[in-house]
Amino acid sequence: MKIFVSGLYCGGNPQPGVGIIRSLGQGYPDATLVGVEYSNRISGIHWEGIDDLWIQRPWDELDLDSHGEQVKEALDAGGMWISGSDLEAMWLADLFPDGHPNLLAPPMGALKRITKPAVEAARELPVKIPTYISTENSDWELHAFCRAQNWRVWLKGPYYDAARTPSWDSFEAARAALTKVWSTQRLFLQGHVSGYEESVMLSAYKGELLGAVSMRKRDITPEGKTWAGDISEVPNEFMIPLRRMVKELNWTGGGELEMVRDAGGQLWLLEMNPRFPAWVHGATIAGHNLPALLVQGATGTKSKPAPALSEEFTRVVLEVPVRDEYPLPPLPEPYAGAIGHSMKHPSGLTSLAKKLHKTNPEMLEAVPDPDAPDGLPRIPDSFVADIDSYDFAEVQTPQFLFMDSTAAGLFKRASDRAHRLSTNEVQVVSGYSIKTNPDERLIKLALDNGFLAECISLAEAQKAIEVGFRADQVILNGPGKWWPEGMMPKGRIHALFCDSIADLNRTVAALEAGEVSSRHVGIRLRTPNIVSRFGIPLDSPETFRKLVDAVKRLPTDTKFGIHFHMASDRVGVAQWWHLFESMLKWCRSIQALTGRTIAILDMGGGWFPDDWHADDDSKFAHAVETVKAMLPEVRQIVSEPGKAMAQPSMALAMRILEIQEHEEDYVEAVVDASIAELPMYFFYPHRMLRKCGKTGELTPLGRGKTHLMGRLCMEHDVVAANVQLPEGTRAGDLLIFCDAGGYDRSMSYVFGRG
Amino acid sequence: MYLAAAEQRLDLLEKETDGAPCSARWEEFPFSVLSHHGEACCDIAREWVKAMDYAQLNGGDLLSGPRWLRQRYEWGPSVWPLHWCEAVNEKVIDCGAHAALAHEAFEARGVTAFRAQFVQSYSPEAIGQWRTKWVEGEASDHWLDDEFIYHEGNALLAGGDEVKLWDGSAGCWVNPRQSGGYGSLMAVRIFADEAQASAGGFRWGLHRIAPNHWHHIG
Repeated sequence: MKIFVSGLYCGGNPQPGVGIIRSLGQGYPDATLVGVEYSNRISGIHWEGIDDLWIQRPWDELDLDSHGEQVKEALDAGGMWISGSDLEAMWLADLFPDGHPNLLAPPMGALKRITKPAVEAARELPVKIPTYISTENSDWELHAFCRAQNWRVWLKGPYYDAARTPSWDSFEAARAALTKVWSTQRLFLQGHVSGYEESVMLSAYKGELLGAVSMRKRDITPEGKTWAGDISEVPNEFMIPLRRMVKELNWTGGGELEMVRDAGGQLWLLEMNPRFPAWVHGATIAGHNLPALLVQGATGTKSKPAPALSEEFTRVVLEVPVRDEYPLPPLPEPYAGAIGHSMKHPSGLTSLAKKLHKTNPEMLEAVPDPDAPDGLPRIPDSFVADIDSYDFAEVQTPQFLFMDSTAAGLFKRASDRAHRLSTNEVQVVSGYSIKTNPDERLIKLALDNGFLAECISLAEAQKAIEVGFRADQVILNGPGKWWPEGMMPKGRIHALFCDSIADLNRTVAALEAGEVSSRHVGIRLRTPNIVSRFGIPLDSPETFRKLVDAVKRLPTDTKFGIHFHMASDRVGVAQWWHLFESMLKWCRSIQALTGRTIAILDMGGGWFPDDWHADDDSKFAHAVETVKAMLPEVRQIVSEPGKAMAQPSMALAMRILEIQEHEEDYVEAVVDASIAELPMYFFYPHRMLRKCGKTGELTPLGRGKTHLMGRLCMEHDVVAANVQLPEGTRAGDLLIFCDAGGYDRSMSYVFGRG
Repeated sequence: MYLAAAEQRLDLLEKETDGAPCSARWEEFPFSVLSHHGEACCDIAREWVKAMDYAQLNGGDLLSGPRWLRQRYEWGPSVWPLHWCEAVNEKVIDCGAHAALAHEAFEARGVTAFRAQFVQSYSPEAIGQWRTKWVEGEASDHWLDDEFIYHEGNALLAGGDEVKLWDGSAGCWVNPRQSGGYGSLMAVRIFADEAQASAGGFRWGLHRIAPNHWHHIG
């Protein structure tokens, strides 16, 4: 009996080949075990239990046709083949569309049905699939997905590799890297599931499930890979549908279902691998020799029983002698000026991926999707109408465009919502954060729609009053609220929130001295579990005690209030709502410990426009009800939508100065705008339009190979990466970046203009 | 727990207890209870634990372990009696204080939790090290025996009659598959009203644990 086993990599993210060989050696001590590899740099080839080696050239050099012929000859001669590599298993399935009795690997039809992330074949298993989105969607939608998942997301490659992308810039960098490595845009983002990882390993032959075991990770490597685990039987509620699934798939070979069990006990399926896992021999140690069961199923030759030595296994690091016939190759020279040796994928697996894409681009496409996303962002009608209202012959670019009807609609919607949510007991009112964009047209819209003016400086308060706000419609907030001196509004302001205990002491003194008068005086709480520099901290019992003592010092002839703020687009929408509930609990504690009832609650902010405006009222209505239940003395809730008002209210028009075409369709287009006008480029995607010079038609930009370079002589002045300019675009054409009315506008700066 | 009370029980138990959980001395031990000064200092401490625990959940599952407590408070000797305002301001607290804080957190979340006592097996060397540390900390070493230790944690009702056992001073859930050896759980007792458990007691892995009685593992 001769058995070929591939996948002998034994680094930090090992392949199962050596474990399979150890298990087969135990089950079939007389079999000839041939280790197959595609690099002599793979340390597993030196494992003493390998009887013979078949070392091929790396995949990037290998002629797949002739190698395929050799594999066929080996199988025809009676050898069996167990693949330890996903990509090799795919290639073999493609090579043997009708299978081969000695190929102990799954057929292509089965592989298509376990394509991640959906793993369609597993629908009857008691598992859920973590939510995901294809990166073929527009950047606008991908950003929305990340916000919805609280930025706890993984960007995953089609076969291997995953990167945590906790921010937009990290996502863009990881996407560029994975796309390059795996030669495909077909990546996906998947929501993180917190819990403990466990797996089910199976062995099957021609649709018959020969055996399966469950493994819980008990120790992991820094990359999260198994270092130790415990083995147990697969429970019936999993085993029965698993048996059905194997039958339906006509599965042959090993397999692994990788899962996470959450705190409530629910299993979440991350992926199904078409091979045995690297911990395969751990199960053999526990008395479950699944590779031997596979060979037994295929040949009918009974394997030696596997004694159960322990229910638990762990790994150790071993030094083994190097085989004389395969001396160690030298380390590659480090790239000049770089640190370390580039050693990833020594067998050239990424090249195999590239070759498979070329030979069979549809290999991994489970079912052709007629609704596959086109990657183009949806542009609201009001945007188009507002942009069309400009005569661009008169527009000197770069220039911000005020989106008149869009802005009016946003403020009215917020105003209507506040009215709907208000009751006789509790008034809900919006606060316009002047800093998001101090444009007078927006401040006026805020005034006309019943907003309060939320100011972080006296200069902002002055601006609000100049536009028409009364003093009693002004809220002062933040650490710089007393600056500049001498500009405090005359008359009683609506609310003042202290940013620190020192600020509170100053406020008390100012109130006593008559320097300021406010209907409400309160504190801003610092979020205790999310890093923030603002507000009074709560992070230790001692600071909390100081806060309680300080609140008791506030004068009793003003009403008390509490403010908290965290940008929901940074922490994620669900996380923000959790923070909201958490803050209400702190408020309730403060109220109980100080004896000061909370009359006003001011909560913000930093809402991404779609999260604020697209949502129906239900979450906000629930929030109001929760406030009423937990803090029944609250009479006013001030809601700060932040940039949700300003961001869509302006766009930036720019013109293309030059188009530079490079190799492999890579294009650099220089524009007359820059990061001086788009300082938020790194933090979120902008919806972009190109206005055709001839027809005036507006066309959204999708993803492509063009980088839009700013006009500045600054290396990082890239205002958009990987976009697709429509056919026929040329120098002088107009581009419009929407969603530029928030901090892009208010934080833009003069640079490179002489 | 109060040292005097514990030592008094030791005298009593060594004479009267039979079939005790590995060591007779812990048969009737009460779980540790933080004292309250009856003043604002302890009110503030208690409110802080509850509000901070909810904040630390980050939107996660209510059945998650309050890992942040172990991150904030190292495990080590505590001198009893210990008040709320003292415990929360310590850098190091023992398993009884850990369990008391975790219980407060679980209850504030609205999940059903119980105090739990464990007996674990360790080596004489480990126990010797702990004895030295506790004596140097002027804390009672009543929780140490020759090869077993007394330990405290929490039981969390996870659904139906199933419980999970939280070892707060280790920051992990106790593995319901126990096979003996170093660090293994030898016995557990869960304090609960009889009405809170089903007729067969609580289910923990393959074990059935009757409330308020020591249950021997393995």
